[in-house]
Amino acid sequence: MSAWEKLAALPREIVLTIVLIAMIVPAIRPFGLPIMVGKMSKDWYNTVDSLPEGSIVLFDIGFGSGGYPTLGPCAVAALHQMFEKHLKIIIMATALEGSMMYPLIMEKVKPEKNYGAVYGKDYVFLGYIAGAQTAMAAVLGDIHTAVKEDYYGTPIDQIPLLKEVKGPESYDLVAYLTTDGGIAEGWVYQAYSRYKLTVVGGFLSMMTPSLKPYYDAGALKGILDGIKGAADMEYMTHHPGDALRATDILSATQTIVLIFIAIGNISYWGARLSKKEGES
Amino acid sequence: MSEVVRKYIPLLITFIVGVIAVLDFYTTVPAIRGTFTVLKNWGIVVTAFALGVGAVNLFRVHGKRIAERGELWPLSGWLLFMLIVFVVVGLSTGKFDASWQYKWIYNAIMLPLGATMYSSLCFYMAMGAYKVLRIRNIDSLFLFLTAIFVVFGNTPIFPAAFPGFFYTREWIFKTIISGAYRGIRIGVGIGAVVLGIRTILGLERGYLGRA
Repeated sequence: MSAWEKLAALPREIVLTIVLIAMIVPAIRPFGLPIMVGKMSKDWYNTVDSLPEGSIVLFDIGFGSGGYPTLGPCAVAALHQMFEKHLKIIIMATALEGSMMYPLIMEKVKPEKNYGAVYGKDYVFLGYIAGAQTAMAAVLGDIHTAVKEDYYGTPIDQIPLLKEVKGPESYDLVAYLTTDGGIAEGWVYQAYSRYKLTVVGGFLSMMTPSLKPYYDAGALKGILDGIKGAADMEYMTHHPGDALRATDILSATQTIVLIFIAIGNISYWGARLSKKEGES
Repeated sequence: MSEVVRKYIPLLITFIVGVIAVLDFYTTVPAIRGTFTVLKNWGIVVTAFALGVGAVNLFRVHGKRIAERGELWPLSGWLLFMLIVFVVVGLSTGKFDASWQYKWIYNAIMLPLGATMYSSLCFYMAMGAYKVLRIRNIDSLFLFLTAIFVVFGNTPIFPAAFPGFFYTREWIFKTIISGAYRGIRIGVGIGAVVLGIRTILGLERGYLGRA
């Protein structure tokens, strides 16, 4: 086996160890590399920013433990902005594990301590609502018949914030973060297509290409594109957190991947050309 | 069971529910809106009930595997054991954020495992990029160029240093990828409409199983 061929077939142990090192080093000692805020994140930020104080937002936690490292920071930064703007937030979960994500997120946002928000008046958590698009349609259509009590068992007719919700026209914004393609499209169908509500969505980066046509068509006013979107939001809201720290890891690992792609191609063509020379 | 019960009653229910759903979308008749609201709420209850059915089914499938000492049966045993642990702790100690016990087993087991499962994809992607993204012919050249510019655009440091990478990625997303996906979406949409009409009319009966 020639040197080119050896380089073209590096053992996976070597490749993955180098990728792992590229992950661990910036995690231990962040480089503080610069980032450029993306347009999709800026549009999410501006959409929320343009809402007047007291506007009602329906916020869906559509992810569980698998999506938490990416979408958890998105949710924290997005909620920081909403509480800062004194918006009224109705939080629900279309993901089964959403109820477990809620306290993890709120422990970081701390709405009472940081913004003086009052549970029930400024925000409420409805818990997991089964049924995906059926749940979305029911909550948007008539929340008072779809949900009888909040996550903590308080009847919803005793919650001041929910008394303000008369029908779909009461929602000024629908914001959701999800790892589920069906949920991601579902909000567009149920909130935008059905009621022409303003909708913003956040997804895993690998989902964004398939959902971007909705953004280009104006159905989604803004997108948080995975951990980079979360980092953008943390930067814009001045609440640096896990995502901004993760961008260094992203930069380091993806640079290593690019280097390996280059090695793969150079060695492939080196092996091919040297083989040809040997034959002639 | 008679054919009426197995076949015609489900078809009739599907027809009625389907027609009400369509009318609810296109009309503002209060009676239709009210009826469909009730149906949507039933949908939520039925889906929640299905979760319970799923758990029962899990016990049936894995219980059988354990009893027969089938392939990887210890893992089935572990699955059922953890299912019981989560249910017992959850039911006996209260809501998630009020129960430190449930919170602990979730945050110490489920959260890191879920995050690890997803994060481990990174290694497969790195290895795949090294092995597959090689310019072997003209087709792979196009794939290579697209992938390279998207990776450059997605890596935070490069667009920050050279904004051109960001705009190139945006152009690829907006023009090439969105164009292709728009076609797929329109095709899927038309297919869904046709499937919906066929289901309402009783021509599509796959959901009835063997009926």
